[in-house]
Amino acid sequence: MTVKFNNVYVSDSYTIASVYEKDGPLSSCFDKVYDKDLYYGEDTFEVAEEKLLFDSIKKLITKTNLVNKDIDYVISGDLQNQISASDYAMRNIDIPFLGVYGACSTFGLGLLIGSNFIDGKKANNLIVSTSSHNMVAERQFRNPTEYGAPKKKTTTWTATGAASILITNKKGKIRITSATAGIVQDAGITDVNNMGAVMAIAAADTIRRHLNDLKIDASYYDLILTGDLGIYGKKILIDYMNELEIDLSKNYEDCGLILYDINKQNVYSGASGPVCSALVLCSHILKEMEKGKYKRVLFVPTGAIFSPTRVFQKSSIPSIAHAISFEVVI
Amino acid sequence: METYIYAFLFCGFVCMVSQLILDNTKLTPGHVTSLFVIIGAFLDIFGIYDKIVLYCGAGAIIPITSFGHLLIHGAMDVATENGVMGLALGIFDLTSAGISVAVCMAFFLALMFKPKH
Repeated sequence: MTVKFNNVYVSDSYTIASVYEKDGPLSSCFDKVYDKDLYYGEDTFEVAEEKLLFDSIKKLITKTNLVNKDIDYVISGDLQNQISASDYAMRNIDIPFLGVYGACSTFGLGLLIGSNFIDGKKANNLIVSTSSHNMVAERQFRNPTEYGAPKKKTTTWTATGAASILITNKKGKIRITSATAGIVQDAGITDVNNMGAVMAIAAADTIRRHLNDLKIDASYYDLILTGDLGIYGKKILIDYMNELEIDLSKNYEDCGLILYDINKQNVYSGASGPVCSALVLCSHILKEMEKGKYKRVLFVPTGAIFSPTRVFQKSSIPSIAHAISFEVVI
Repeated sequence: METYIYAFLFCGFVCMVSQLILDNTKLTPGHVTSLFVIIGAFLDIFGIYDKIVLYCGAGAIIPITSFGHLLIHGAMDVATENGVMGLALGIFDLTSAGISVAVCMAFFLALMFKPKH
């Protein structure tokens, strides 16, 4: 179902990116780049990701001239077991914390929950955060460096960074107008190296239901932005949508293809990870909206919500996508 | 001179087959490695792999197929002296140096280095 919101606004955001993102086309858009290495002075990659997330939340609060007690909730999630980057980062921030997990759709899930809180007048300001770290995600889901194996061309490259966004009930330039929660889909695919194909079906279903519920056409949006489908997932989604007679040829793009320069950087079929779509949205798309390039944007982060154990047991991979609609207030 | 060419061709062929398997099936690098060990072991029947080694030299000894071939060789050698128990006693005879070095090197390198990218 699609929920409409009346008084949810985007206040500000803070993005931190890392080594690989710095070489991409958005390098000048991030608030901060930690580019010395992937440890940032910590001992392990897991702690390094915690630092990314912690810094992005702390610096967002400073950037917006608020203090901890002004923020009602932090909603955050990541790719580590038991979303530990978020859990551990929040040890040192005294704001009520809601941990959420939606794999690479986590940021959309957080925005959806947060917008409901604010629209229902249960909160005034809240922060939605997410992070991912390339080396942590590889160890968690795919090939750790030590495995030393070549990757398939359908593989996506987990982005490293953290993004936090402050949403509020105070009037601002960009309003969150509606959100559609995803339904879990399963295309019967078991290959963990082909996430685009796994998630395209979820994106297709969510976009279709969103447009149907609001009785609007795809051309209503200046931009429809999926999370991290990559080169192949993007093609599959366009195919699906053609069959549904929804035309995405003019206003559709995928965050996984925006974050990196696919031709120059060796990132296989594109960027992925929860922070991929969050970085592109916060550091690039929302700024373009403020400048007036886009008026209406539908943000559809996609997630493959699988467990590595179930993959070894040969279960197929479920996926989900949430749609969040942003509009510039005139 | 011919050995060099055969070595190049054979080793290249093994690599090409494994790349084809990786690209066109869902098998992981772990599967492919195990598969090639088994193929090497099977090729030891009738001494086929020995003949390949004779012609291709290092081209046949370097790839992982040689590991399977050495497993069978070790097992069969000791089995001819000690009977059936020899199969289990001898299976790692010829490969033990490789395994020991791999284990020890992995340990020391892990102490010295951290993964970067």
